[in-house]
Amino acid sequence: MNWTTFLHFTRGPLFQVSLLIFVGGMAYRLVRVVLLGWKGDKAPAKGSKLAGVAKTYLKGFLIFPFIPWVKRTFNRNPIMYLAGGLFHLGLFAAILLGTPHMLVWKSLLGFGWPTLPLPIVDWLAAASIAAMIALLFYRRTNSLLKLLTGPAETLNWLLVFLPMVTGYIMTHHLFFQYEVLFSLHMLSVDVLLIWIPLSRISHFMFYFFSRTIHGVEFGKRGVTP
Amino acid sequence: MQTQKAMNTFVKETGGWVASQLEACTRCGMCAEACHFYQATGVPEYAPVWKVELLRRAYEQRFTVSGKVKLAIGIDSEISDEDLLNWSSYVYHACTVCNKCSMVCPMGIDLGTLIHDVRSGLAEAGVVPADLAAAVQKQIEEGSPLGMTDEVYADRLEWVTDDWEVDIPIDKEGAETLVVLSSIEVMKFPQNIAAVAEVLNAAGENWTLSTKAREVVNFGFYEGSHSHTTLFLKRILDQAMAMGVKRLVVTECGHAYDALRWTAYNLMEIPDSLEITHITGLLGEYVSSGRIKLKAGAFNEGKITFHDACKIQRKGGHINEPRQILNILSPDAFVEMTPNREEAICCGGGGGVIAIKDADPIRYAAFELKIDQVKKTGADTVVMSCSNCRLQFTDGKEHFNLDWKINGLTQMVADALAD
Ligand code: HEM
Ligand code: HEM
Ligand code: SF4
Ligand code: SF4
Repeated sequence: MNWTTFLHFTRGPLFQVSLLIFVGGMAYRLVRVVLLGWKGDKAPAKGSKLAGVAKTYLKGFLIFPFIPWVKRTFNRNPIMYLAGGLFHLGLFAAILLGTPHMLVWKSLLGFGWPTLPLPIVDWLAAASIAAMIALLFYRRTNSLLKLLTGPAETLNWLLVFLPMVTGYIMTHHLFFQYEVLFSLHMLSVDVLLIWIPLSRISHFMFYFFSRTIHGVEFGKRGVTP
Repeated sequence: MQTQKAMNTFVKETGGWVASQLEACTRCGMCAEACHFYQATGVPEYAPVWKVELLRRAYEQRFTVSGKVKLAIGIDSEISDEDLLNWSSYVYHACTVCNKCSMVCPMGIDLGTLIHDVRSGLAEAGVVPADLAAAVQKQIEEGSPLGMTDEVYADRLEWVTDDWEVDIPIDKEGAETLVVLSSIEVMKFPQNIAAVAEVLNAAGENWTLSTKAREVVNFGFYEGSHSHTTLFLKRILDQAMAMGVKRLVVTECGHAYDALRWTAYNLMEIPDSLEITHITGLLGEYVSSGRIKLKAGAFNEGKITFHDACKIQRKGGHINEPRQILNILSPDAFVEMTPNREEAICCGGGGGVIAIKDADPIRYAAFELKIDQVKKTGADTVVMSCSNCRLQFTDGKEHFNLDWKINGLTQMVADALAD
């Protein structure tokens, strides 16, 4: 098998299978949790639950991950905030606003959108990669994070890191033949897609549960979340 | 055996509400920065996320594929009796269930409630610190964890009535408002009882105390046991319903308010006609509506700061009322701590921690954060609306030799009533 056929495989059938596993796996995770049942809360509310939810999303999306000093308590932990925020920013910029990726979305969804110029995506991706390295370093040195990090957490990191670096090297045509890199990029993406439903990277889905719950809990008490 | 009981409780508690939040956690550790016990000691096991680890393991092992795989290949192990003992010391000794961590968690996980669920499992398994278990037993038998028996209660009330020369209606027929005191007030801060009475009388409230519903403190709620929590709640609520009162007022006690205002509704039937509120809310209402008049500037000397109680302010929502009142009583003297309001740092004594002798060293360590905060404001008086916080402050004041004045909000209002 040469690299061209391997690329066809990782870009074609393997990608499709991974995508199916990803979608099916996430749906399974979602259904499992939802079917565990939801007890209603009978305590009369003091404030508006809806207002609480609205506020917490605004804070969560716009402010929280990126500005560490908005809430005074985390002066002690700027690395996680800045590096974590930067990593997600670069990640989202690349997978949503990078032209090759938008085209994948277009083929899946049937519509596309304007993308960012390559140099911007490129710099964000570089920053993201640097942030990931900082996060790993932090995870390996901080005593609390050592306690919280098992093999699964390290794998999470690695399996997101691989597509990031292969993608980055590929756009710069470094080291290897383009087809080799493209194949490796696709292989790492396929592995990631299969891994997500098995792991905590699924947090992006449950984020919407926990944020909503947070907003409801604070809103019903009439407290700003 | 013990673990089985804890597991069963965890499983029973794990509905979508709990599971979706456990799933959302990214194990980033940011919540630790919020926790005064972690900040004060640096012990990694005191991180909020680690306190719910037991619940997460139980959930994953029972409900998820990855949890079963981890168990099978030995990355995770079955929960052991030793685990229960360890977690007992994390969630009872080193947590006041103040829920500050939930404000810092980037996923917004309601950690305080999840930690309470961990306590529930441990309570079912009987792995509760001895001091706390003894207090619960005492409350079951004597009606109060602080030794406030029927006789003591009657004596203390009589004494307050005489000494402070104030009318205190007891078991009054046809009263619309039932006030339930905490034994901390009755035993340690009797001046608070007089203050409550003075304010309610001045407002012309048709109120009463009860000899049956006489203890608002709920050590079952600290412990996390549903059956004990319900037992103690029913002692109050059954009486309130039998008397047909319209309003139940919780005095300066935080966790009792949490239990009655937010939890009781999900444990028993409570008619819509009964309103449950906190004395802080009532004070705000009286001042806004003009039912009581305050001497403006009555406490305007020096510097006065307000300590937000977790269960009354952050979890109870009575954040504005104390400010409204202090801005009248102490327009120039009142200064805020940083952070404050819903983001305030807990005093370190709530959640039953102050009742656990073994927790004393970390309780004092956590209080040092509070001392620091108060010192930065330059205040000489600290006011609060929770007598459990007040107990922690008076104890901390003595322990650290602080020359602060500690005051209760209701008491200040009573002292500043305009005739
Ligand atoms: C709604 C969307 C998302 C939210 C709110 C979110 C939030 C978070 C937060 C708060 C953390 C922990 C702290 C940090 O490192 O920043 C985190 C970690 C992480 N996230 Fe996300 N995330 C989202 C989407 C994603 C996606 C789509 C991926 C990957 C495909 C991802 C991969 C990761 C990884 C690998 C970590 C661990 C980093 C480490 O080692 O500390 N996230 N996420
Ligand atoms: C977790 C992160 C990433 C994921 C999930 C991902 C996913 C993908 C996918 C599915 C494709 C297939 C496109 C196709 O079949 O035509 C692709 C292509 C590509 N990716 Fe990524 N990618 C990631 C990160 C990056 C990064 C950080 C860069 C560089 C900044 C990058 C650069 C590229 C390029 C240039 C292509 C297109 C190759 C071509 O069509 O010639 N990727 N990526
Ligand atoms: S609820 Fe309060 S005391 Fe408990 S872990 Fe969270 S921040 Fe710490
Ligand atoms: S801050 Fe929230 S997401 Fe991060 S470890 Fe703590 S509970 Fe989990």
